[in-house]
Amino acid sequence: MNIAWKEIKKNKVRFSILGSIVFLVSLLTFIISGLANGLSQDNAALIKDLPNGQFYMNKDADENYNLSRIDSSTQDKMLNKQNDAVALSIQMGFLNDEAGKQQSVAFVTSTDSKLFQNVKKGEIVLDRSMEKDGIKIGDTLTNNQYSGKFIVKGFVDQKKYSHAPVAYISMEDYKEIYRVDEMQMIFVPGGDSTQAVAGLQSFSNKEFLNTISSYKAEQMSLNMIVWFLVVISGMLFAIFFYMMNVQKIGLYGILKAIGVKTSALFKMMWTQMVFITVIALVLSVTLSQVFNMIAPEGMPFSLTPETTVQLSIVFLIIGFIGATLSGLQIKKVEPLQAIQQGEV
Amino acid sequence: MAIFKIDEVRKTFTNGEVKEEILKGINLSLREGEITALVGASGSGKSTLLTIAAGLQPASDGQVIFEGTNMINMSPEQVRKIRASKFGFVFQFAHLVPFLTVEEQLMLMLDVSDSKLKKQEQKKEVDKILKLVEMDHRKNAYPSSLSGGEKQRVAIARAIIHKPKVLFADEPTASLDSKRSKDVMMLIRNLTKTLNITTLMVTHDEEMLSYVDSIVKMSDGQVLQNVV
Repeated sequence: MNIAWKEIKKNKVRFSILGSIVFLVSLLTFIISGLANGLSQDNAALIKDLPNGQFYMNKDADENYNLSRIDSSTQDKMLNKQNDAVALSIQMGFLNDEAGKQQSVAFVTSTDSKLFQNVKKGEIVLDRSMEKDGIKIGDTLTNNQYSGKFIVKGFVDQKKYSHAPVAYISMEDYKEIYRVDEMQMIFVPGGDSTQAVAGLQSFSNKEFLNTISSYKAEQMSLNMIVWFLVVISGMLFAIFFYMMNVQKIGLYGILKAIGVKTSALFKMMWTQMVFITVIALVLSVTLSQVFNMIAPEGMPFSLTPETTVQLSIVFLIIGFIGATLSGLQIKKVEPLQAIQQGEV
Repeated sequence: MAIFKIDEVRKTFTNGEVKEEILKGINLSLREGEITALVGASGSGKSTLLTIAAGLQPASDGQVIFEGTNMINMSPEQVRKIRASKFGFVFQFAHLVPFLTVEEQLMLMLDVSDSKLKKQEQKKEVDKILKLVEMDHRKNAYPSSLSGGEKQRVAIARAIIHKPKVLFADEPTASLDSKRSKDVMMLIRNLTKTLNITTLMVTHDEEMLSYVDSIVKMSDGQVLQNVV
């Protein structure tokens, strides 16, 4: 007989309260996680969309790509050694449209590579968010440091860096704007940290993301909120089940007295925990996905199915641990004590 | 025939450095189809003896022999299995599961006792026992809607649904008025005789002794008198 389900049916209000709290906490966690992911994409989609590999910066740059310069001989050596390696530079800057409106962008230039847009001198390829701002193919854009004009050749999806749309320009134009002759970094797809190069420091994609100070600080705060919420929900489970178990000590004692196994009582509690959590999670996942769809255009929100499934599993595990910890008292219940306590 | 034998059972409680002997070598035999009442003043040890016999707490010394095996030497799991399948319990309070209907209380007991009956047969058995305790008309009721007497009838039905060999009743009428007490005692007596159960009961109500087959009078942890 499924007494776990029968108890839920008879005590709908009590279990609904617990379920609604799990629902609210998990929904909040999904939303914050969606925002963290969204901001992460907004901050570093350019890097996050690259395949796994190694970034190389000048050792003297002190882990700051802005200060890094790769001398041309090292660059040539590395690019010759590995065909798909690419030298690249990223700098924040401004573009002015035909009406004189200024917009912040991240200028990106690279050597020939499938991983980056390669454009000719005087051309520019922009992140699609700028198309939504009214810029069209064929428009001309200017930059105060650039003598010529950029002609918009196309748009690419989801290419952002440091919360700004990426603008791919040619190496020649980049060098003119920033008055430099060298590239900042070299990216070797599929490379690993064992491939040391004299004078250069290597970073995995994740390590490189963490050198972007705004990215690190932003993600750390948001992830801390997410994990705090997960821990809080675990504690909520433990507290609620503890309170419910305390109220049911007498009942557990009687059930033990008539011969019900302690393991059966644990199964009863786990069944209730899983039932409540799954319903709460289904509701919060549905609602967060709806939010994902209807979130305002400008809001950086991205909740992938993988993140949703991962967080849901974490919630189930934390709920299980919380309920089990609080349920340890079931093991200690003496039938005799319950009988002597009086009516359940 | 004696199905249950209590042999030199002792129980000592230790409170700090003070040792208190509650049972001082009790000997008792229970026969099939008979009700044995344990009577005595408060603190005489009658409830302790009943709970030791029922496997709800261990004895400090002695033997509790059920169907030829000493329960004192059994593991907690073996004792639990015996409690689930061969013993029935009625307490001072009915102690029904608040979220189960009358019918479900009995179905649960059949589950716990690992009944070999199929679901339909279990339901028929439940109906039969509920008829026996005159509670068949309330089989879909929850405990909160039952009177004290009705609850105790359900508790008795739950205690016998799995056809136990021994029924342990600890002051089963203490929470009931005089009329209901007599009804419950009559019911326990009828069931003991009809189903050939061995019943060990603790009571302080002398009126109830007219329904029992033998009376064991206890005082200060010892048997004073065993009247058949």
